[in-house]
Amino acid sequence: MIEARGIKRTFHAHGAFTGAHVVQALRGVDFTLPDGGAVSFIGESGCGKTTLGRILAGLETFDEGELLVDGADVGSLGKRGRDEVFRSIQIVHQDPYSVLNPTRTIAATLGDPLKMIARRRGEKDKGAQQARARELLELVGLQPDGVLQKFPHQLSGGQRQRVVIARALTVDPKVLIADEAVSMIDVSMRLGILSLLRDLRERLGISLVFITHDVATARYLGEGGELHVIYRGEVIERGPVETLIQSPVHPYTQCLLSAVPVLKGLEEPGPDRLLPKDMLDANVETPGCLFEPRCPFATDKCRAEHPVLGAETIAGVEVQHACFHPEVRNVAAVDLETV
Amino acid sequence: MTDIAARADAPTAAAEVAVRDLTVCFPTDTGELAAVSHANLTLAAGRITGLVGESGSGKSTLALSLLGAVPSPGRITGGEVSIAGVGDVTKLTKAKLRQLRGGQVGYVFQASQNSLNPLKTVGRQLLDLGRAHDVENLPELVKRARELCELMGMDGARVLDSYQHQLSGGMRQRVGIVFALVLNAKVLVLDEPTTALDMLSQAAVLRIIARVHRDIGLTTLIVTHDMGVVSELADRLAVMYGGRIVEDGPAEEVLGSPSHPYTKALINATARVTGEIGRARALPGRPPDLTSIPAEGCVFRERCAFAMDVCASVEPELARWRDERRRACHAEVETVTTEGVAAS
Repeated sequence: MIEARGIKRTFHAHGAFTGAHVVQALRGVDFTLPDGGAVSFIGESGCGKTTLGRILAGLETFDEGELLVDGADVGSLGKRGRDEVFRSIQIVHQDPYSVLNPTRTIAATLGDPLKMIARRRGEKDKGAQQARARELLELVGLQPDGVLQKFPHQLSGGQRQRVVIARALTVDPKVLIADEAVSMIDVSMRLGILSLLRDLRERLGISLVFITHDVATARYLGEGGELHVIYRGEVIERGPVETLIQSPVHPYTQCLLSAVPVLKGLEEPGPDRLLPKDMLDANVETPGCLFEPRCPFATDKCRAEHPVLGAETIAGVEVQHACFHPEVRNVAAVDLETV
Repeated sequence: MTDIAARADAPTAAAEVAVRDLTVCFPTDTGELAAVSHANLTLAAGRITGLVGESGSGKSTLALSLLGAVPSPGRITGGEVSIAGVGDVTKLTKAKLRQLRGGQVGYVFQASQNSLNPLKTVGRQLLDLGRAHDVENLPELVKRARELCELMGMDGARVLDSYQHQLSGGMRQRVGIVFALVLNAKVLVLDEPTTALDMLSQAAVLRIIARVHRDIGLTTLIVTHDMGVVSELADRLAVMYGGRIVEDGPAEEVLGSPSHPYTKALINATARVTGEIGRARALPGRPPDLTSIPAEGCVFRERCAFAMDVCASVEPELARWRDERRRACHAEVETVTTEGVAAS
């Protein structure tokens, strides 16, 4: 179980001509990931979702807040303790083409972490390591004999991503973080990877953190879990995946959902489809709502005050949002078959 | 010598593009292999056509052949590509081809947001483009570029004065489109125009493409792997698999009632925000590459839920089966369209 409270991360950049400037990547993010559960984070490029993933995987530090993994505060642990904790949290990156060493076979790629684990446990049986490598490849839906002796360039994108997942599984993680894990995979293979991740969650009880800009894949993977919508480092709406897609109340969530392409002939666009007024400008700091410059419904109050995430019941649905003017709008596409 | 001012005033009538029996081969260790095989495709004048396929399906090769720019060592071994007002592209001389590229046919390359020169401002690159095409009136070219920028919702002066790192991904993509159109192209080819963009930028770029297409009166080809992108924009849709066009027709009809097992499986494999989650079905197997395309029979048969004996030996022809719809499949249309799930 992972609990995050008020995670903040600020990057200080200093350009040669632009001078110092500060990027607030995360402005206080809370969430809870139960064992075997799933949380998804959606947002556009530059909203801080990848930074969050890297913090969870121990690849990035945070300035403020608390990160509790199985009750242990990561910030108060020493290096050894932290290594132990973050070994149980593995990350699967977006690009399976750049995360595998092109000069090593799949057998060698999987062999290293297995050898390390065996050494720590004092096991010396090489046969057991090889058997484990084969078992893992089968688990991710690959034929061990066809894959083990190959180099990454001999595999398709989908196969590579499966190898990456197998490598993450070598250390028996409790949590997998998938950062846009399917956006570079061929469309016909995408669903296979998503099903695999769902399967791992069901069969091995591995919790999933899914980071994406694509609402549809978040819906598929995060089923039964919570969906967090991040905007400029702040969660602005959250709730169960299905509820959030069907009845979003924050205008930003509604813009995101409206941007999902509609499949003509199968779906029709939601009646209240919404467009943001402007493109994202990450440099504007305002005392009011961060989304105010792009929000079609902004008022003076939004310009002056900063809304905080709170729970409320709107139209019979309990929602958590950070907006002064929440309203349920039907923006998601409507299936023609059910109409 | 082209005079940009004269051409800017001339009415730009959209041009039809016809690809006839096009075959593009690449020499390999195992002989010549066809990346595109006997493709027939008409881009109706003034329409947006979507070409959908996965990596290795030959869609980019087909699109590049509109420019006569199939990457070496590949070459066009048969068929023709005729563009109204230009003639058969495959027979043009090198000098003519250079004029065509960026002239009558604008091409926005895959990941074109990364193809700007980081050391030059956008404006200077624009002037390079003008000089390469012997444009005499460069101030007019700049004016036209600024107009196009405004049309796409950008501040023209600012964009031309910027280096690529000063622009966001969506803006760079739009700059790519400006470059493709600034010499008054009549045909616009967009290769994966929205990959690497997030949903909101994607939606914005798609809206802009639709508007520019309509306002300028273009014939547009969008090459993509994303059904959603095509559905938002395209009037007509062609689906490619293993170097063959396996189905085409009006976009809405093809999406609503796909008649080829591959199209159907691809739509079923798309994660969507509507309907039951369990409805989505993964496609078994993997897309073929040049070396694994079967030599005879149907290219899709190994992943097909409807495969029959005949599929292993006879390659189905792309044939008309209803008004504007064509398919290349041995199975009956009704069998494919009515079956609940294409692949399990």
